[in-house]
Amino acid sequence: MTNLPFREPSLPRLRPLRAALAAVAVACTVAACSPVSEGGGGTGSGGNQSAGQDSFGTPADPATVRDGGNLVIALSAEPDALDPTLSRSLYSRYVFQAMCQKLYDVDEKAQVVPQLATALPTTSSDGKSVTIPLRENVRFADGTQFDSAAVKATLERHLSNARSARKSELGPVAGVDTPDAHTVVIRLQQPFAPLVGALADRAGMIMSPKALQTLGDDFASAPVCVGPFKFAKRVPQNSIEVVRDPNFYDASKVHLDGITWRILSDASIRAANLRSGDAQVADSVSTQDVGALQQDSALTVLQSQSLGYQGLTFNIGNVDGVGTAPKSIDRPIAQNAKIRQAFEHAIDRKALVQAVFNGINAEACSPISPASPFSSPEAQNCPTHDPAKAKQLLAEAGVQTPYPVTILASNTPDTLRLVQALQAMVKEGGFDLKINPVEYSSLLDEQDRGNFELLQLGWSGRIDPDANITNFVGTRASQNVAGYSNPQLDDLLTQARQTSDIEERKKLYGQAVTLLQQDDALIYLYRQRNLTAFSNKIQGLQVFPDGVIRAAFAGFTK
Amino acid sequence: MARYLITRAWQSALTLLLSTIVVFLGVRALPGDPALALAGEDRSPEALEAIRHHYGLDQPLPLQFAQYVGRAAQGDFGESIRTGIPVSSMLTTALPVTVELAVLAILLAAALGVGAGVLAAVRRGHPAEWLANGLALVGLSVPHFWLALLAILYLSVATGLFPASGFVPLLDNPVDNLHHLILPAVILGTGLAAIIMRQTRSAMLDSLSSDYVRTAKAKGLRPRAVITHHALRNSLIVVVTIVGLQLGGLISGAVVTEQIFGLPGFGKMTIDAVFQRDYPVIQAVVLLTAAAYIVINFLVDLLYSVIDPRIRVTGDPA
Repeated sequence: MTNLPFREPSLPRLRPLRAALAAVAVACTVAACSPVSEGGGGTGSGGNQSAGQDSFGTPADPATVRDGGNLVIALSAEPDALDPTLSRSLYSRYVFQAMCQKLYDVDEKAQVVPQLATALPTTSSDGKSVTIPLRENVRFADGTQFDSAAVKATLERHLSNARSARKSELGPVAGVDTPDAHTVVIRLQQPFAPLVGALADRAGMIMSPKALQTLGDDFASAPVCVGPFKFAKRVPQNSIEVVRDPNFYDASKVHLDGITWRILSDASIRAANLRSGDAQVADSVSTQDVGALQQDSALTVLQSQSLGYQGLTFNIGNVDGVGTAPKSIDRPIAQNAKIRQAFEHAIDRKALVQAVFNGINAEACSPISPASPFSSPEAQNCPTHDPAKAKQLLAEAGVQTPYPVTILASNTPDTLRLVQALQAMVKEGGFDLKINPVEYSSLLDEQDRGNFELLQLGWSGRIDPDANITNFVGTRASQNVAGYSNPQLDDLLTQARQTSDIEERKKLYGQAVTLLQQDDALIYLYRQRNLTAFSNKIQGLQVFPDGVIRAAFAGFTK
Repeated sequence: MARYLITRAWQSALTLLLSTIVVFLGVRALPGDPALALAGEDRSPEALEAIRHHYGLDQPLPLQFAQYVGRAAQGDFGESIRTGIPVSSMLTTALPVTVELAVLAILLAAALGVGAGVLAAVRRGHPAEWLANGLALVGLSVPHFWLALLAILYLSVATGLFPASGFVPLLDNPVDNLHHLILPAVILGTGLAAIIMRQTRSAMLDSLSSDYVRTAKAKGLRPRAVITHHALRNSLIVVVTIVGLQLGGLISGAVVTEQIFGLPGFGKMTIDAVFQRDYPVIQAVVLLTAAAYIVINFLVDLLYSVIDPRIRVTGDPA
């Protein structure tokens, strides 16, 4: 769930927007256009999407970058505890990127590459033993040695800490062995392919055993890892500062003296700080501001397709709360997939993305991003926009039109604009959409209790597709708020997470998407683009598909 | 007097206890769950359970309340659910920022408001009065956040005169500190300045037409001396009362101003805590604010009897 930027509602803007939407919708009906579904091939980075070109940024050129200076990054939300075991906020990853290196990292193609490991892991033939070779001569920020014992201590803390947010990500780990100081072997109860993806995120950040011993549960008060920078200071709700770490193994590549993340929740204030020079980087630029920022010759805007999605979830069986056994709900739309399919056919994703997000976000019809190496033509298949078909399906389902549906949505201006556009759109397909806006924390609460008919939320996305699918649609899975259950889908997803062959997994996820679109408990709408703006005085700033701002090796231009 | 003091003291304590109960129940009556807000994207039933257990949110309400009051009495407000940082240390970093911002805003507002008010009264019917009145109207009607955005746009982005965000503690570098705070303080003080201006103007007009001013003039005092020593001095009593009354409004204005300028103060802390359902932080902030109000009221009541002997103070309710 991404935090949509905090902006003042711009009501006057809505009327022309709706008119434009209606015009597009009418034009489409007349010309019977069949949108989307130019299902991209598996590779590449989603170049066929209507949105702008991907630009990930380039590494700094040592010849033109000077050493020194403090970089200020305007961040849209506050990171939570700076403890890799406990952290649950996306924004913590931005800070960790500079001070807590991981066993693995991702590159601009969303492929896993070694970071503190020296090579990709080798998996035994039964898939139950994963061997990871480690870098030598690496020190933590407190000067202690990084070795296999430290990796073991970290992984065991992830698995045993009561509040750990990493336990489920690591999967069925049976134990961690250290045959020598530079090799770690993870033993699994069953094969678990998503493990490597998890080790390329917070689960793979190795903490100093000495710091863990002295700080214990208070590790976040003074976190110590291996990284280009080390923790210096945190002012709650305001800023976090890190300074260059002389102990870092690749210290010669580090140019900046320090980095400060300053929390500024309003998108226009972040843009103003960027322009005034008080900050050099701003995250989560609003799609409304991108045009103006791109025109500014002093600034660069990086954009990459997110691995996550924004979508609509129908409540089809969540009666007693998320994670409980699905029960029947006495509502035609909960019981009959045809009505949900009709709803999907009534949506014109292309017009939606154009009208609400200036065409910057990309249409999405499945949980698998075209930027993912696991994408396939099946995974990018998309039900067409066809209001006539929607009405026909409603007639087949034997319900009266307009069929009333109430949608629960966050009360941020961006979300409201989205659902208002949807409201105008589905009307033509025979639906009467009522909007029930609530504040974000309440929305989460209602969602988990099952107090909704339809709701709008999303997921920020992970490297491994399993983390973007199974938790949301697997029977009784921890975030299956729809109360959806399809044993055939569960089988496919289990097979996919136990296979390490990429081609085989691609095929299985393609089949899973077909099932998801038949049942339509979750309608995928669009994929956000990670939009980051920075001053041209800075070089070497990069943002990859995981959305994390990579500032550690950036520097000021000479 | 002693009896009065004792009565007021225990009344204050009771008010404080009641406000504690109201806040404690109030934050829990809000829809939303702090465990869910903290769990963010990675939430499983086990994780939620562990979070609730760690913060004692799985215990019965009366027990939670008793523990909270017991600890708060010793100055321990628990730790923030969001960041795990002790609330007392958050308060010690946030309070000085807001206090400094408020004091600066009051000083600026008073200087501006009194000056313009005197001018408007003395130059009655003159363009200076129209200008002062017009500015006061603008100051009262334009919302802070919009003024703040304009100020950032023109004074930070376009000209680079003032920083658009950030804060430097007073003790680290007083000049930098003032440079960062001056813009937010001016913005925050605009509404107050307008109120002070209007009050000063009407009080001055009253004073200027009163007998003692006529007497002063008749004694042959210079107009400047009449205005500053006689008319203004008497008008200031009203101004002081207004400033006292407006403190609450100033703090709520600080909430918005701090959010926009990214100042690490009390107001920003409160907003973020409410959105995150960070119970310990909300409770501590509201408790502290309530305590401040009670203490100020108590002191003001005491001061009245000191300043004006005509105000008789007894233990009986008035």
